Amino acid sequence: MNNRLKVLRAERNWSQQDLADRLGVSRQSVNAIETGKYDPSLPLAFTIARLFGLSIEAIFQPE
Amino acid sequence: MTKHNPAYRAYYRRLGISSVLYVAAVFAASSLLHHRAPLSVFAVGVALVPGIAVSLMVFAFARLFVELDDEYLRLLEVRKALVATALTLAGCSVWGLLEIFTAVPPLPVFWVFPLWCMGLFAGTLFNRVTLGTGGCM
Repeated sequence: MNNRLKVLRAERNWSQQDLADRLGVSRQSVNAIETGKYDPSLPLAFTIARLFGLSIEAIFQPE
Repeated sequence: MTKHNPAYRAYYRRLGISSVLYVAAVFAASSLLHHRAPLSVFAVGVALVPGIAVSLMVFAFARLFVELDDEYLRLLEVRKALVATALTLAGCSVWGLLEIFTAVPPLPVFWVFPLWCMGLFAGTLFNRVTLGTGGCM
């Protein structure tokens, strides 16, 4: 799964820790999602989408 | 968040308490009982205390999986446990067969849990190799 998390985060000038705090997850989780090593669960994907004000499909795309 | 996660704090607290209990119970059993002491309620009772401590360590691992609210960290911990379980099962089964068919020294069942704990380190390495340094301890 590809995602635009790193770009969206950079646009807001957030560090991985900033994003992790906003999502209520660990920095390692954000790092793993950004680097494509981990695909988030549906509830976490919804939380991410809600935080950025976008749909899930606008952030995550199948490879 | 990893270090400050309440689930990890509770896990280390439980593991610390059960480890201290384990060491104290092993020393107490060693001083109170001779090796292969005759069967009695007292001997069984004293010898069971270290086992209770080991059970508390297993409980600490189980509670970590339940209480860890970060899904990625939980995945890492479960992967570590799976690697440890696979290595322990494979190692003990292979050694057991060697014991049956050859003259290798018997492996006391006592070693199964320490071997599993060593397997956790292998699981940590597996996580680091497959998921990188972003994949915590």
